[in-house]
Amino acid sequence: MSNPNHDKGEHYLTTPKAEPFLERLIFNNRAVILIGFLLLTVFLGYNAVKIQPDASFERMIPLEHPYVINMLEHRNDLENLGNFVRIAVETKTGDIFSAEYMETLKQITDEVFYLDGVDRSGLKTLWTSNVRWVEVTEQGFQGGTVIPDGYDGSPASLEKLRQNILRSNEVGRLVSDNFQSTIVYAPLYEKNPETGEPLNYATFSRQLEEKIRNKYEGQNPNIDIHIVGFAKKVGDLIEGIGSIAWFAGITILLTTLLLFWYSRCITGTLVPVFTSIVAVFLQLGALRLLGYGLDPYSVLVPFLVFAIGISHGVQIINAMAVEAGKGFDAVTAARLAFRALYIPGMLALISDAFGFLTLFFIEIDVIRDLAIAAGLGVAFVILTNLVLHVLIMSYLGISKGGIRHVQNHGEKQDRKWRVMSYFAHPGVAPISLLIAVIGLGLGLYYKQDLKVGDLDQGAPELRADSRYNLDNAYIIDNYSTSADVLVVMVKTPVEQCTQYNVLRAMDSLQWELQNTPGVQSSASLADVSKIVTKALNEGNWKWYEISRNQTIINASIREAPSGLINTNCSLTPVLVFLEDHKAETLETVVKRVEVFAKANSDDEHTFLLAAGNAGVEAATNEVIANAKDMMLILVYSVVSLLCFATFRSIRAVLCIVIPLGLTSVLGEAIMAVSDIGIKVATLPVIALGVGIGVDYGIYIYSKLEKYLLEGKTLQDAYFETLRSTGKAVMFTGVTLGLGVVTWIFSPIKFQADMGFLLFFMFLWNMVGAIWLLPALARFLLRPDQMIAKARTAK
Amino acid sequence: MAKRLTCKTVGAACLGLSMAWSSPAAFALADIIETPARQTDLATTSLLNDAVLAGDRIVAVGERGHIIYSDDDGKTWDQGSVPVSVTLTAVDFGSDTHGWAVGHSGVVLHTEDAGESWNLQLTGIEATELAIAGKEAQIAAMEERVEDAPESEKEDLEWAIDDVVFTMENMQSDLDIGPVNPLLSVWFKDDQYGFVVGAYGMILRTEDGGETWEDWASKIENAQNFHLNSIASITGGALAIVGEAGQIHVSVDGGDTWERRESPYQGSLFGVIGTGQVNEILAFGLRGNMLFSTDLGKSWRMVPNNAGATLNDGVVADDGRITLVGNGGTVLMSSNDADSFREHFRSDRAGIMSVVPVSGTNLLIVGESGVTIIDARGKNLQ
Repeated sequence: MSNPNHDKGEHYLTTPKAEPFLERLIFNNRAVILIGFLLLTVFLGYNAVKIQPDASFERMIPLEHPYVINMLEHRNDLENLGNFVRIAVETKTGDIFSAEYMETLKQITDEVFYLDGVDRSGLKTLWTSNVRWVEVTEQGFQGGTVIPDGYDGSPASLEKLRQNILRSNEVGRLVSDNFQSTIVYAPLYEKNPETGEPLNYATFSRQLEEKIRNKYEGQNPNIDIHIVGFAKKVGDLIEGIGSIAWFAGITILLTTLLLFWYSRCITGTLVPVFTSIVAVFLQLGALRLLGYGLDPYSVLVPFLVFAIGISHGVQIINAMAVEAGKGFDAVTAARLAFRALYIPGMLALISDAFGFLTLFFIEIDVIRDLAIAAGLGVAFVILTNLVLHVLIMSYLGISKGGIRHVQNHGEKQDRKWRVMSYFAHPGVAPISLLIAVIGLGLGLYYKQDLKVGDLDQGAPELRADSRYNLDNAYIIDNYSTSADVLVVMVKTPVEQCTQYNVLRAMDSLQWELQNTPGVQSSASLADVSKIVTKALNEGNWKWYEISRNQTIINASIREAPSGLINTNCSLTPVLVFLEDHKAETLETVVKRVEVFAKANSDDEHTFLLAAGNAGVEAATNEVIANAKDMMLILVYSVVSLLCFATFRSIRAVLCIVIPLGLTSVLGEAIMAVSDIGIKVATLPVIALGVGIGVDYGIYIYSKLEKYLLEGKTLQDAYFETLRSTGKAVMFTGVTLGLGVVTWIFSPIKFQADMGFLLFFMFLWNMVGAIWLLPALARFLLRPDQMIAKARTAK
Repeated sequence: MAKRLTCKTVGAACLGLSMAWSSPAAFALADIIETPARQTDLATTSLLNDAVLAGDRIVAVGERGHIIYSDDDGKTWDQGSVPVSVTLTAVDFGSDTHGWAVGHSGVVLHTEDAGESWNLQLTGIEATELAIAGKEAQIAAMEERVEDAPESEKEDLEWAIDDVVFTMENMQSDLDIGPVNPLLSVWFKDDQYGFVVGAYGMILRTEDGGETWEDWASKIENAQNFHLNSIASITGGALAIVGEAGQIHVSVDGGDTWERRESPYQGSLFGVIGTGQVNEILAFGLRGNMLFSTDLGKSWRMVPNNAGATLNDGVVADDGRITLVGNGGTVLMSSNDADSFREHFRSDRAGIMSVVPVSGTNLLIVGESGVTIIDARGKNLQ
């Protein structure tokens, strides 16, 4: 019974007797196919090398969400409300009122002025002429630039500068509350107005580092530079993609060592690694030909492709070694391995691919790109693993050491599998189920805290202690500004955007929002009108009100910032500054705006959500929250259907899918406990975890079924299953885990989150398949009926 | 599912949310004088334009119809219920319980319970209609005078009539837009008799606690209709009004008749107070200009100081010390009967609109950033 050679696979599915057509096609044209692969690899490999990093803003947002549609429709009217960098120049000792500091600031101002991409007319620092102070006198207004006329760095002119700054209303905006730093505010062009070329974030960010930060911090050790803004963040993200190369190297090395430990055969180690790398090159090359770049999400797909390639390659090596051990030559062993594995292998890979493709239902381009990249990758793995790999092995064969290693089913090994086969024992199975139910309960309990969206302060893409987030924290602490802005667009008939009723409605919305938890402050044309009306009335606060007199309103907004009125005065924004970008905050605020907009939109003014980073995040959260259930249902349906199609038994499907469900629940609980929200980065993990996790169940169940049909008791059948495939399955789990675990060290926070979660799901799905599947089988499977059914089928 | 879960886990927040749905905002916008002020914690940190004592209670008014009151020297506050959401500019109490607040859209609000609930007595529509009626009466009276006047004066009088007609037509066209102009100050002698003054020379008097009002503009020499910014009583019983273009008006008969005083300063005056000494007046305004008179304004002395910024309000403590407050965080103090002032600029530089004494030598200031309690030197209390 323990003879490994007796199981000459009588199963109707896994080992058909006849040579299938595909097998003949492939093995009769071995050389031609290999040359074909060589050409394809050279061609796509050449393209793969040339693939470019790409982090486009638009690809990361849900383009089909109404908020985003509104935003994009009016993006020309909302010029530069979002895209700017702020550079805080801090002096470590003393304050900004020193000749040396002001000189450095002047040089930095000039340097920033000449950076490509900066909208020079909007550049603001203490040194630009658009930063002014104003005072009311008996004759009217009096004012000037904050840098006094004839500034010469003398104590007298610095004192004058101090007075001007205090009169200028810039404390908290351009000048920090503690007078130890000032801001260089640089709005950016999305597209170069002369050449029409889009801003290159990577280059721009690098220039900020080299020409501003390194240069001036080096020149003046008393100066600290802090830079924030979307362009800088994206630049840092692109920079972070670079560190991926290290992870790739480490992953390949570890996997190779592990593979050798497993197979004890040089060919059996190097060929799977080689073919998996080929799959990665094919995937990357095809991606580039399809016009894609590598964004911070899709850059992770090659790791998955590599890991999937290896884990399935192991099955081939294992099968070939078994066949070779029976005395077959390399070609025959390869043929038999192919014959035995091409259906379950393809099934497993196709279910991986379908798992990825369910991501396509999330209306965010980066996730769809991820789906395409991963789907493509798995398609290539099917080719490289089941064709290229098998063909190369048919030439090289498994080494003797490798064959001996596979045949070496020593007493020790068997004892281990014997112990583990008790998972199927009638006394142990109920305990396993009880533990699973308790685990499920705990999982469901903790998962209640699972949140949608980003939970951390600052730029959630980057780590809390990253340079960018430290800079961001500095600016939040020292200036009265928030980085989380929701923009409500107010649409009016042409030339009507400054009507009293419009301003009054905006003011009402603002007050409603300022009384909403999570809102820090707000700003709109209504504020400008009130503050200037006050100023026009000799600075008397008693006049702080929107006048009903349109002539006064028009006078009050004559000098309003251009971003607050579009060119034909048909759109004006309300900017809402939020305390954070937690999903609850966004949801609360957005709901209030929606209720208000519904009640107060009419012919004179329509309130539209939403622009600003918080608007986009609110839309993203909504899309993700809605997509999550849909995606889970889809991925589980697809996996269940594929399993059902293969095994023709609902009981089989339950045995395979229930452990996956437990993993999904526990995965969400772990997310909740580790403060990882469901977001663009982590939603795909759920699909990937299920899609790839099902492989274990498929390999184990197909063997288990085979032995049961041979008439073995459940525990014996499971023992044989473990002997033949247990090691390969465990190895698969470890390889997949290794493939993603290095991401945990990524400077990009969401990559680390993804790595951590996938690592957990890959390993735990393996545990689920080995431990829980047999326990479920004890309760769900009816071996007698299965045998009867198999007979009638024959 | 995710949404429901989020709600479950943050039950309190969700509850707050659903409550919010059913509260304000869920109706189309009514006019600002028909929109009750929202009850909000932000009232104490938003703009407040005036604060007064009503017995031991402090009552302050400000933007968005906020009226707040405190019975513990400003440590904790309650918000009164107010039927309008306009910026309120001034408040005064004729007794411990009867008070009036005025503001934009020409509103006059009245309370009989020391500031807890307020009702709307007058709007800018009625105020302007009263003013127009006043002008019509004035024109009729002037036309009668033209009849009787000698030929040499006739032309001048006709010019004067034209001016009044022009003013009246302006008021008419304002009325077409709505209640456009604000009232800026209020003074009440008791729970019956008082004045409100405001933009473009608006001044109304009541003798029945605000039930009816009478246009009083014709009693004031203000042909160019400059703003009247502030009205106050002077120790000894006189009344004083100050305003735009250096206007100073004094009444010694309780407000029946008014006399314009010569002013040494032609810029805007925003505040006027008595100093506690009989017939002494301190008036102040733009750029720290300060005028002092010991004879009800017949003669003035400019008081030099380093304020530089507009002064808005002042208060005299029991021991005679005078504190004035103004824009840019300005606090001026005098302990020698306005001979000289020491200045302090508060670090936040926020505008201060009003000051009232609280326990000990402490002061409560209100303004741009709401309520703050400070010590006698103008510094924040720890």
